[in-house]
Amino acid sequence: MARTKKSNRENQDGNFGRSDALEPAHDEQGSPREEDDEHHAAEESDSSEDEVAPRNTIGDVPLEWYKEEEHIGYDISGKKIKKQTRKDRIDSFLAGADDSKSWRKIFDEYNDEEVELTKEEIGIIRRILKGKTPNTEVDPYADYVDWFVWEDKGHPLSNAPEPKRRFIPSKWEHKKVLYHLLQFARGWIKFDKPEEEPPFRLLWDDDSNLADSRRHGLSYIPAPKSKLPGHEESYNPSVEYIPTQEEINSYQLMYEEDRPKFIPRRFESLRSVPAYESALKEGFDRCLDLYLCPRTRKKRLNIDPEALKPKLPSRKDLRPYPTICYLEYRGHIGPVKCISIETSGQWIASGSTDGTVRIWEIETGRCLKVWDVGEAVQHVAWNPLPELPILAISLGQDVLLLNTGLGNDEEQLKVKELLNVAEPVITDDASDSTPTVSWIPYTKYGGIRLKHFKAVSTVEWHRKGDYFTTVVPSGDSRAVLLHQLSKKSSHNPFKKLHGLPVSAVFHPTRSIFFVATKKHVRVYDLVKTKLIKKLEAGVREISSISIHPGGDNVIVGSKEGKMCWFDMDLSSQPYKTLKIHPKDITNVAFHRSYPLFASCSDDCTAYVFHGMVYSDLNQNPLIVPLEILRGHTSSNGRGVLDCKFHPRQPWLFTAGADSVIKLYCH
Amino acid sequence: MPKHYRPPGKKKEGNAARYITRTKAVHYLQTSLSSFRKLCILKGIFPREPKKKVEGNHKTYYHMKDIAFLAHDPLIEKFRDIRAHKRKIKKALAKKNRDQANRLLSQQPKYKLDRLILERYPTFVDALRDLDDCLTMVHLFAALPAVEGERIQVERIHSCRRLSHQWQAFISRTHKLRKTFISVKGIYYQAEVEGQKITWLTPHALQQVLTDDVDFNVMLTFLEFYEALLGFVNFKLYHSINLNYPPILDPRLEALAAELYALSRYVATSYGAQPKNVQAIDSSQSDQTDAGKNETRPDESELRLAQLQHQLPANEPGALMQMVEDATSKEDDDDDETKECKYLFKDMKFFLSREVPRESLLFVIPAFGGVVSWHGDGSPFSEADEDIMYQIVDRPVQGHLFLSREYIQPQWVYDCVNARMILPTEPYAVGRIPPPHLSPFVDNEVEGYVPEYAETIKRLKASAKEQVLPLPGAGSDELDNSQNLLVEGIIDRAEAIEAEEKKRKLSMLEKQYRDELNMEFKGINYSASLPNRGSSDDNVVEEDTTTTNLEQIAEDAQNRSKISMSRKKRKIYEAMQISKERKKANVDLLKERKKKAEEQGRTR
Repeated sequence: MARTKKSNRENQDGNFGRSDALEPAHDEQGSPREEDDEHHAAEESDSSEDEVAPRNTIGDVPLEWYKEEEHIGYDISGKKIKKQTRKDRIDSFLAGADDSKSWRKIFDEYNDEEVELTKEEIGIIRRILKGKTPNTEVDPYADYVDWFVWEDKGHPLSNAPEPKRRFIPSKWEHKKVLYHLLQFARGWIKFDKPEEEPPFRLLWDDDSNLADSRRHGLSYIPAPKSKLPGHEESYNPSVEYIPTQEEINSYQLMYEEDRPKFIPRRFESLRSVPAYESALKEGFDRCLDLYLCPRTRKKRLNIDPEALKPKLPSRKDLRPYPTICYLEYRGHIGPVKCISIETSGQWIASGSTDGTVRIWEIETGRCLKVWDVGEAVQHVAWNPLPELPILAISLGQDVLLLNTGLGNDEEQLKVKELLNVAEPVITDDASDSTPTVSWIPYTKYGGIRLKHFKAVSTVEWHRKGDYFTTVVPSGDSRAVLLHQLSKKSSHNPFKKLHGLPVSAVFHPTRSIFFVATKKHVRVYDLVKTKLIKKLEAGVREISSISIHPGGDNVIVGSKEGKMCWFDMDLSSQPYKTLKIHPKDITNVAFHRSYPLFASCSDDCTAYVFHGMVYSDLNQNPLIVPLEILRGHTSSNGRGVLDCKFHPRQPWLFTAGADSVIKLYCH
Repeated sequence: MPKHYRPPGKKKEGNAARYITRTKAVHYLQTSLSSFRKLCILKGIFPREPKKKVEGNHKTYYHMKDIAFLAHDPLIEKFRDIRAHKRKIKKALAKKNRDQANRLLSQQPKYKLDRLILERYPTFVDALRDLDDCLTMVHLFAALPAVEGERIQVERIHSCRRLSHQWQAFISRTHKLRKTFISVKGIYYQAEVEGQKITWLTPHALQQVLTDDVDFNVMLTFLEFYEALLGFVNFKLYHSINLNYPPILDPRLEALAAELYALSRYVATSYGAQPKNVQAIDSSQSDQTDAGKNETRPDESELRLAQLQHQLPANEPGALMQMVEDATSKEDDDDDETKECKYLFKDMKFFLSREVPRESLLFVIPAFGGVVSWHGDGSPFSEADEDIMYQIVDRPVQGHLFLSREYIQPQWVYDCVNARMILPTEPYAVGRIPPPHLSPFVDNEVEGYVPEYAETIKRLKASAKEQVLPLPGAGSDELDNSQNLLVEGIIDRAEAIEAEEKKRKLSMLEKQYRDELNMEFKGINYSASLPNRGSSDDNVVEEDTTTTNLEQIAEDAQNRSKISMSRKKRKIYEAMQISKERKKANVDLLKERKKKAEEQGRTR
């Protein structure tokens, strides 16, 4: 290329220099130019071919203008100078393969000819490529010849006298040397390399005293060791450790955290085991665990679960208690809502929602009496005095006091006299339009009817058999009423009552009165007529209450299936809360003489507990669950509706929603 | 007043003062997070869980004392020095001051970890107790490809390989190996050193994959510590058997990648545990060596000489004395288990084919007293040796068979080791699928499921002990076991059954009573009704109810005890029951799978 350009320029020169001559540049032309321009001559003298005139006569115009043409200008005789036919690539390749010199050949597009470079020219090109001068003879680093002569000229460039510092040793250099000397002397700089200490030594001597060999710093919590591999991690596990395809597929449906990390596989031989692909990852995870995971000491309970169970006295020692169903009293056609046992233990009364009250003989199961009272019975209660066989029945707005007709003639006389109301007695303690209670003779079965202003839920007798209480849950300030049978009078002891009353009971020995509202149990002194205590059950809704015959302990059943035992001497909080039933507790009951108590619930079961109360105040009551009594069937979502103990025997009566009364004996 | 109100002028106290979050700790120490990490790893400081997380739940908390412990460590200053030094080098390079840079490079500040190790593990036993992770990591890195230009320096990998071989040589020669297990992840080994059980995992000797999802900085920091720890532990162990620690090895064997063998030979020559037959091997080897090998002989003997000179203090009395010593004192030192392990493969010669994992078997077989050679250069005896008892091969078909030896798959060795007895070799013969390989780390009794092969091994062991041939079917001991189990079960249920029976009797009585009553009502004569009462319907119903009753009674008993528990205990109890049930479900799953597999096998 260099050559073409050169010749190109030369051509221009020629054209401009002698435009009128119009003769091709020949060898003769070179010589006059050499004379003109020394520089040109020097440049052009290196190759003899340069003197050859260009074939091309189109001048210095872009070649592409002639791309379409077959010629490249005209010769002196005016004929077209034809382009040579271009060789195609295969031809040029073949030519190259045949000719060993072909690498030196260059196609000159301007002149449309192939030029072969000489050895010298290639040498020049190489030198240029290396960045050296093209000519070998040129010495770029020739010695400098100072042709200006200094001597005897009389006028140096600077005439200043030489400064002193040129003649004395440098102070700073001296200081530096001194410093280095100091460094050597002090051993700061060492020329010999420090000795390589052996990397390991005996670190733990046997005779190191133990006091010194304590770990410093905070208490060290060693990292838990990695889990040791089980059978399933084997390269060749038993067949049973390999999950089936369905199981593997089902892993995909799991959450990612739950998915098993490792799926066992089986290899027929050791040579077919591949490298474990996540070896590095697992090593890294372990590292992360070691330095990133907070460590705490966790106490792991490594005990037998049975050891958690409290040591309870054997059930055998706590006998007798009811265990099996001995008798069934059938006859009611609706759910039996309530039962009550006569104090002598011979008779049992039951009230049902079918509107009947029945009296049964306990021992035989014989139904003695059926009273059709016409309305669903809420509650029945025997008079606690054996000589007054009166039954109180609550139904709707009424409370009936009926003569059961039991006992001898003398007693009957007395009862009849008691139950005789000449004219209706109406309490008018309030100025309301409806009287709170009115005592009306009940002609149907010969007794007294106490007509309340609203529906009555429970009726409970005082231990002396003269007083009884009724609860009117929706009665607001007249919810709990006290009645005296002998005087046929009623009165409302509470001017104001907090909460919705559920049940009211008398203390078995003292003049104390318990009112169970939905949240609390309020304990009143009847003599002083004031609140003594408020027991907080902490349950959602109290459904029933029962007082221990000793009078200091109370059990409360709730609608969430919890039973609370209160020790009144201890605190107003429950001494023990037992979560027993999955459904509502309908009733709880203490036995009068045996240390037994029971609860019954809508889940068709009744629990019997041993509840021993000690006279020693320092000893807490002992509560042992004894037996779960089943047998009732559920109807309408209700199970066992009432339970009562026999007054003398360790027997339990349960009344079910399946209209059966059952007697459980020991 | 806000919840954590602190009056002005009053110091922080409680958890707020005692714990510090990670970011605050880094600020407190005035370091970068990466150097904090490094410090924590080297010093063994870990986050702790405060009772109350004052700064928030999703933060990492360090104890203030731990951080103070870090702050007082000279290492933190050293790290700062290194950082400053690196900057100096960078600066010199930027100024094209090569001399200065080179000088600085040669003077890089270094730190040593021996102080840290002693601080973290004041006694040798402490170090052994924490050696599991260390060994696993070092073995893992020893198996990584030593490729120039990778993220891990080749020297590190070589040093890991060396350390792991040194450890293995010690374990093997002192017969401390107890359990082995080939898993998919690699081979697990368990050794017992000074009463500490040390378990580690070596990857399979295959090309390991370098993944991108790990942070090599963290791993290399751990490795740095572990290398140092293992070095010191090895030193102590070698010291305890009177060996110089960095062992000088036969470079010829080292070059042949039989470093472990070289090491164990080194240990054997100086420990004195070299069995007699090694001399025999040497002689046999010399017989077999061809001319080419004879040339290398002088070099080797020179090396041996050098070794011996090196070992002079330990080796002075000569081989005979040592043999005597070995016979007297060493035997007494060893506990029963070590003795058992030592003589498991005694007087047995093994030969390893090309395709079996050589390093592992070279480690395991000598650890249990066997003599082993392999296919390849530098092996002590060749395949043609007549004394070879077992040849370990892992190929579908073995071409040339020597009748004097048995050809077995490698699993046999591992199973023998775990069972501590020589198992029959037929199931492990060439080309067969070996019996399942079971983990020795599982307590089958606790797990509740005993694989079939474990039973077989147990029976074999029992028979070997009593010299009674095992019964092919159900062994007598098995029967006893089941009886024992039954007895236990009976004790549990006795009460329930007793109660149940009583109930049944009573209910019978009750029924009878009721029937009689009914009859009375109906006015039927008692004697007339007698034949009717034996009707079968009643009995069937009775049978049906008893089974349900039994469950009911058990449940009732459960409920009763649950009621009397406190809430906390009840919750724990329930959690325990859940875990128990989960375990049982696992076992049931295994049993079911087993049953299915058996059925399939039968149909085929």
